[in-house]
Amino acid sequence: MTRLITKLGLAAGLALVTATGGVAQELPKNLRVVIGSTSTGGDTYQAASFVADAMSKHFGINAKVDAVGPTEAFKAIARDTRGTTIMIHHDQSYLGHLYGVKGYEDIFATYKIGPTLTVNPGNAYLVPKKSPYNSMSDILEAAAKGTRIRVAIQPGGVSEIGFSALKNAAKIKSPGSEANIVPVNTGSQADKDQLLFDGQADVINGSVQSNEQYTRLPEDDQKAMRFIWLTAAHETLEQVNEKGLGETSREALMEYATPKASVTLDGKTDFTFDKDFFILYNKEIDPAIIAAVDAGLKEIYAEGAIGTSMKDAFFVPHFLPSTEAAAYLEKKRDDYKKVIEAIRQ
Amino acid sequence: MNLASFPNVSIDFATSHLVFPMLVSILLGLLLVAILATRWRTIWGAFTTGPYWPAGIDQLRFFGTIALTVLYFLAMPQIGDLFPNEGYGFLIASIPFLFLMSLLYLHRRSRRQIVIAAINAAIAPTVVWYLLSTVFNLTLP
Amino acid sequence: MDFLSMITPLFLVLIFSGTVIGIIFGAVPGMTATMAVAVCLPLTYSLGLENGLALLLGLYVGGISGGLVPAILLNIPGTPSSIATTFDGYPMTQRGEGESALKIAIFASLFGGLFSLIVLYLFAPALADFAIQFSYVEKFLIIFLALTVMAALSSSMLIGIFSGVLGILVSLIGAYDVSVGGNGEYRLMFGFMEPYLSGGFSLLPVLIGVFGLSSILIEAAGGVPENEGAAKIALGHGKKFRLSIFRGEWSNLFRSASIGTFIGLLPGVGGSAASIMSYSQAKTFSKTPKEFGKGHPTGIVASEASNNGLTGGALVPLLSLGIPGDSTTAILIGAFTLQGIQVGPLFISGNLEIWNSMIVAMLFANIFMFAIMYFAIRHIAKIVTVPKYILLPIILMMCVVGSYTINYGIMFDVWTLLIFGLFGYLAYLIGLEIAPFIIGFILGPSAEIYFVKSLESFGTVSIFFTKSWIAGVLWLLIAASIGLSIWMSMAAGRHNDET
Repeated sequence: MTRLITKLGLAAGLALVTATGGVAQELPKNLRVVIGSTSTGGDTYQAASFVADAMSKHFGINAKVDAVGPTEAFKAIARDTRGTTIMIHHDQSYLGHLYGVKGYEDIFATYKIGPTLTVNPGNAYLVPKKSPYNSMSDILEAAAKGTRIRVAIQPGGVSEIGFSALKNAAKIKSPGSEANIVPVNTGSQADKDQLLFDGQADVINGSVQSNEQYTRLPEDDQKAMRFIWLTAAHETLEQVNEKGLGETSREALMEYATPKASVTLDGKTDFTFDKDFFILYNKEIDPAIIAAVDAGLKEIYAEGAIGTSMKDAFFVPHFLPSTEAAAYLEKKRDDYKKVIEAIRQ
Repeated sequence: MNLASFPNVSIDFATSHLVFPMLVSILLGLLLVAILATRWRTIWGAFTTGPYWPAGIDQLRFFGTIALTVLYFLAMPQIGDLFPNEGYGFLIASIPFLFLMSLLYLHRRSRRQIVIAAINAAIAPTVVWYLLSTVFNLTLP
Repeated sequence: MDFLSMITPLFLVLIFSGTVIGIIFGAVPGMTATMAVAVCLPLTYSLGLENGLALLLGLYVGGISGGLVPAILLNIPGTPSSIATTFDGYPMTQRGEGESALKIAIFASLFGGLFSLIVLYLFAPALADFAIQFSYVEKFLIIFLALTVMAALSSSMLIGIFSGVLGILVSLIGAYDVSVGGNGEYRLMFGFMEPYLSGGFSLLPVLIGVFGLSSILIEAAGGVPENEGAAKIALGHGKKFRLSIFRGEWSNLFRSASIGTFIGLLPGVGGSAASIMSYSQAKTFSKTPKEFGKGHPTGIVASEASNNGLTGGALVPLLSLGIPGDSTTAILIGAFTLQGIQVGPLFISGNLEIWNSMIVAMLFANIFMFAIMYFAIRHIAKIVTVPKYILLPIILMMCVVGSYTINYGIMFDVWTLLIFGLFGYLAYLIGLEIAPFIIGFILGPSAEIYFVKSLESFGTVSIFFTKSWIAGVLWLLIAASIGLSIWMSMAAGRHNDET
């Protein structure tokens, strides 16, 4: 009994030491990484694990990823000015605000933007294998001729931005035709796939990772699909692992992305969307922590091991230190803002 | 939701969040009316004759449980905040909570039972904390 | 039989430890199979896919099964999918037949697990093609069918339905979830609730609040009597367990295991619906429907055969569509992606060895689960002899841990536990029915999304009747279930008049 009490006392004492002993420029011994997704099987969790594991090793800390979802994650970092909690999320964090989804604030004003980490280049649009549409221009032409095209998306973010770009391109190509491109608002990938199987959607938003096998099914299979558009930028796809994913090589994937598959942004350049993962901090966080994380990650990325494992998992490493990341993401936000405003009636 | 040409309905996505809650509320209202209509005597009787609070409950243990629980929940994040992400908030708050709850529920507070309660209060949270926070690396308050 | 070579000692040890840890997670109120798989997922990095899956599948089977222990002994469902086990399991414990109830549940679990495993092994791709015939419309009817059990579960039909509908309404509080296809707008909320309730109340804290905390409050209000005599009775003074209990249960076993497997097939419908639905079907087809809810072994068999039937079923869409069938398999997907293995329609044909090793792991997990639980029962059942002044505070602490960790560390979930504990106590005072309330709460969000999305896509209410032959069959089952409830309540009414 007494031994237990001494042990407990020791534990509490130790905790005090670790809590107060941490000097400002050092990272907290226990770092909580909250992510804007509740799934532990999704790409956000995967991306965050890469980074959390690497940081744990590099700094000798214990960084663990908690899949609490966007609202709770924002709340968690808003509460914590000491930097013991950081958030990892992707473009959804500002797209949600642009689309006016409840619970999303302007991240550039409310939080401190940390470094970008990696890109998931897999955002894709698919059609049934038997679909009459063979390219994005087929779809835009059909819309111009008055055919209604139903696109299954999850509204309010990453899944909708490509759809908005498509509408915008239709408007530029043939004003008015954008009304023929209509959303079928749904949820998970399973729901989107199901709408395609049911014939309730002509095009669905999906991803290379979750839909590649469906593109290899024979045409008479109800589940067979075909890629029609990848939103990733050319430079991003160039960095993808050469094998591509499954049995679809990088080269084959490039057939579906700009410049070969074009969805125009403004009549001159093509719209692209890379899903960037980045760190978000509390606004009042000690700048020394930001600097320490930036410097640490710079070394981690320079070593290269993290890049290799990301590429093996069909991610593209993309490290920008905090200040550059903030400028880069703000520019991205401004571009997409224009697209979304252009098609708002 | 536009019901003008039933059974055809059109739902506007922007207001679709209200469709189901509205239907469920109407159904709930109808059920409430049905309950009042069939049992108003019993309900009225309960209202007029009282007592409003069930007589004969163990006030001390009942309200003691609620009060201790509220204190426990309030203390946990506060203590945990002193040691970020260690789970000590849970550990430090649980030990007195368990001990006091056991004391509250004991009828004959013999030395032996108080010692058992104390040992339990010390060991149970420590084991749980060690397993979850250290072995399974879960976040605790 | 190439794959026999992979049955190494390590492989077996991993399945065994997975099953043990899973059972513990399942058995502690508030901890779930999903959580067990989630916390052990990072371990699989270093194990390699086949061994990692052995561990995770052990956790899955163990976690789903462990939930029956507190459901039967304490009237607290250890996991949401064991909710229907409490309906007849706890009355048996009160009668002193706790040990017998546990054994019935374990046999039924083993049967359900093996049944669904065979189905998975033989028919996975074909079943996946069948599962995609279920659009929003058919899924809504399935949820509706599960909801009809509300009426049959309660002592007064009107109050029961009222409680259930109230449960649905409470489940809708918060945002219309974007991740399932909603528009993210808030409803049924006041401004002050927004910071806490944007995501609504989460299921697990509500569940253990109304079942766990409220029973502690009821105990406290009653003065927490230490009744040592009753605790001894609870241990085996009632009817002894005999395998002959299962005579006449074969059709129930097959039906419930099939329902579990089948619900598992349908992405998003979820495990609690499976156990609720087979419970209601067992009642519909029973010759003695009035015995249900009073400690009828058939009810336990139905619930447990179906929730273990879920294990094989939920792997079908995972392995043949790349889509998880329930929340636990949603985490299993992580194990594949972490190892760089794609799951999708070509997974099985492209990865025969992994597929075979998964089947073998599931088989062993079921056998281990049975062996561990069967031989540990005598000791597990003793939990009812632990003095309440020790037991109740520990249960409360575990409820707190479970609520906090279920969503990876959210303090409001702990307060939810208290709110619904108090609600459960008040409901008990004014005579609201808890079981229908919680069923409404569990199924409400799916009912909403499937109902609203059906109308959004088809624009007519008649679609629920005309969509497909599957819809027709479901309507027949719904009619049978409702008819039975009405008949039973009328029979009960006549009985009351006579006395």
